[in-house]
Amino acid sequence: MTPPTAVELGFEQKVVIGIAELAVSNNANATLTTYSLGSCLGISIYDPEVRVGGLLHVMLPDSRIDSGKATAQPAMFVDSGIVALFRTVLDLGAQKQRVQVCVAGGAQIMDNSGYFNIGKRNYEALTKMLNDHGLSVHAEQVGGMVNRTMYLNLATGDVRLKVSGQPQEIFLCKS
Amino acid sequence: MQELDEFINTVKQLPPAPKVLPELLALLNRPNIDASKIVRLISFDPGMSAAVLQATNSAFFATGSPTADIQEAVQRLGFAQIYQIVCAVTGGKSLAPAQQGYGIDRGELWKHSVTAAVAAQLIARRKGEDENTVFTATLLHDIGKIVLSEALTKKYDRVIEEVEKNQLSLQEAEKKLLGVEHAEIGGRLLARWKFPSNVVSAVWFHHNPKAAAPSEKLAAYVYLGDLVAHFIGHGFGHAAFAMKGRSEALSILDLEAEALPLLMIETHQKMETVNALFALAA
Repeated sequence: MTPPTAVELGFEQKVVIGIAELAVSNNANATLTTYSLGSCLGISIYDPEVRVGGLLHVMLPDSRIDSGKATAQPAMFVDSGIVALFRTVLDLGAQKQRVQVCVAGGAQIMDNSGYFNIGKRNYEALTKMLNDHGLSVHAEQVGGMVNRTMYLNLATGDVRLKVSGQPQEIFLCKS
Repeated sequence: MQELDEFINTVKQLPPAPKVLPELLALLNRPNIDASKIVRLISFDPGMSAAVLQATNSAFFATGSPTADIQEAVQRLGFAQIYQIVCAVTGGKSLAPAQQGYGIDRGELWKHSVTAAVAAQLIARRKGEDENTVFTATLLHDIGKIVLSEALTKKYDRVIEEVEKNQLSLQEAEKKLLGVEHAEIGGRLLARWKFPSNVVSAVWFHHNPKAAAPSEKLAAYVYLGDLVAHFIGHGFGHAAFAMKGRSEALSILDLEAEALPLLMIETHQKMETVNALFALAA
């Protein structure tokens, strides 16, 4: 008799996504995590039908600032990152009409000058892009003055947040 | 001023004085750097010597057979690397512990400080500024938080209230609730520890670089380094982003706003290599 596989034993796979990275999965035992969202955005998409999802950690709104980087590391920017995220998730059988988009991050310092509003510009770039494709944000916690960590559970599609300075995790999106 | 010093005196757990750092910085800022003096200074501190040798022989730096000789370590790595290792060892000891009053977990203040210092150093390099001084001031900019953390532990709710309801910066909230704030305390500490006056002012006024005149340039480096660290996710604790925008920091250093996103990319890349070095200390 062959021994049970790690998945059969309920092994929980924890995938950590760094700044300017993305990961997708259809493994129900996996949790995708991204730490330290400052003015960066964490963007998760999840198709509850086929239980496929992905998480992206973008740093800046517009890849035109460095086209070489956009090719080598598309997940650094909102525009190139969203394309890469959707493409890989759809490759795993998700459908664009079914996916739920959740967003966290985009923190802002106290500034009215507009010189330092990278968090806001990230969010604007995202919503514009989603609108252009007839998509909208399902749940979000964006802006404010905090640092956030974001988790996507592939089995349920639940998205949890850990906000800096607050002891408890919260649900951003619960199935 | 006297009240401030008294406040510092009442704090039970002051960070250890980084004795070697100001002396080493002074040695490196002389026109002719005397390697033998640097070797002597490091050798005088057994903990420091061990750390320097450990770093020299680590996979990250190792170039040949392991060495147990400080002089050879200094030769192999060069002054700039040695200085960074000394910074890592001295700074890490003070800045690594959790700061409960700020909602900062273990290692987070250190990560923030190193990221800020790397970002500020990148700008300094481009501007041809003295990198060691910029790196030092930025690395130690939040040292005052260590002193205030305990007093803030009981006032955490009120800090959040001041920030959210009254739109005070974290620094203003501290001043209102405690009568002192971390930047000022940090400046006082560094003065006690005999750091040069420009480093003292830059830390003291790192939330308002213009006020640091005549050291406004150094303060602007610290301010922007701090900002970039926050942006790329290395700013932690309650209301971590409750700091005022000071666009003059850009003009003081003759930088365009567009420089910031590029600096974020560069800092992020640089951190991947720097982490290997600074993991030694944390």
